[in-house]
Amino acid sequence: MRLRTAIVAASLGLAAGWPLQAHHSFAAEFDGSKAIRITGALTKIEWTNPHSYFYLDVKDESGAIVKWACEAGAPGALSRRGFKKGDLKLGDTLVVDGYLAKDGSHLMDARRVTLPDGRIVSGASAGDGGPGATGQ
Amino acid sequence: MTAHARRHIGTASVSLVILLGSAAVRAQGDNGLTAPDVKSSVPAPRAADGHPDLSGYWKGTTDTKPGGNIGKDLPGFKLPLTPAGEAALQHNLTATIDPESLCIIGGIPRHNASGLPFEVLQGAKKVAFLYWYSYFRLIPIDPKRTHSDDPDPSFFGEEIGHWEGDTLVIDSIGFKDEKVWIDENANPHSDALHVVERWTRPDAAHIHVETLIEDAKFYTRPITYSRTWVAGNADEELHEYSCSENNVDQAHLGFGPGPIRPDGTRGYLDPAPLPPLPKPVK
Repeated sequence: MRLRTAIVAASLGLAAGWPLQAHHSFAAEFDGSKAIRITGALTKIEWTNPHSYFYLDVKDESGAIVKWACEAGAPGALSRRGFKKGDLKLGDTLVVDGYLAKDGSHLMDARRVTLPDGRIVSGASAGDGGPGATGQ
Repeated sequence: MTAHARRHIGTASVSLVILLGSAAVRAQGDNGLTAPDVKSSVPAPRAADGHPDLSGYWKGTTDTKPGGNIGKDLPGFKLPLTPAGEAALQHNLTATIDPESLCIIGGIPRHNASGLPFEVLQGAKKVAFLYWYSYFRLIPIDPKRTHSDDPDPSFFGEEIGHWEGDTLVIDSIGFKDEKVWIDENANPHSDALHVVERWTRPDAAHIHVETLIEDAKFYTRPITYSRTWVAGNADEELHEYSCSENNVDQAHLGFGPGPIRPDGTRGYLDPAPLPPLPKPVK
């Protein structure tokens, strides 16, 4: 587990500096100053182009359910990293770290996803110029 | 430092060494979008007609910087904009969403500045360039062919190819002047754009282009853009990519590419760090 965590941490950080092209610029959609973490139950998966989406039900401080959309890379990008659709099932509890949409909606960039088994995967859109972008 | 902390750091160091070592081994064979450059002494293959065969799956090199910037080879990445070009740039930055994110064809020369792999299929009379988002361009190779008087505007332009020795020259006019960015940084081009690409295959592992970009409306002088790609692995090829299948984000995108860093790439210079890694599951 420790090794796995180290690999993910390094792949998200050390390899920065190859930002090339993605479907759109990270900065055109997300606020790089607003990093957040949400934890919630998976209610819907869209394994689609140009991005995959995970929809989570997240409890706010009052206990009310807030629906969040998490934008991730295209299926091809995720599967190249070993993150497959079969890794997710409805009802799973996911921890998603990323950045808020600039327009203030309940949409975030799914930069880093922690799966129920503890595996940590990069959900970033390939080469979007976002934090830790590797171009892959 | 406690013995426990030393053990922790020791474990992390070993992990990092393993990671970096494996990355160095993977570099030649991973299936990423880009790859480290390689050396090759294998000559370029030749087609039946004797010309170099440009066919292959081509990936940008990781040392191509800044990616996505058509001014890559210019001092300070500064493009020689005319006043009309500067106005067009400001329009793109403040009033347009990246056309490519709206699933509009990027066109030429933008695709040559892309970080995404592409595929070339070369025939004797035509050459096809196949792109990541399921776009293509099909270029006639015909030294006798000339441009139309008034070609219908398109994103790739009216393209005509011919061989000059071992160089495939593609000459293009007839471009769109709306819903186009010439690169990822929202730089503009007008309908006066004229592009001359000179493609070569210096050896089996590389394809190279020298691009001349002329646009007297928006640029005071011609721009050149050079780039080399490396061959992908034998098992790599393009796959289906239906760009408008589920383009949820287009309703959330702002105008322009966002901030451009001093190194010529798009993105925040100093983003906030993500939260610490979650505690491991036992």
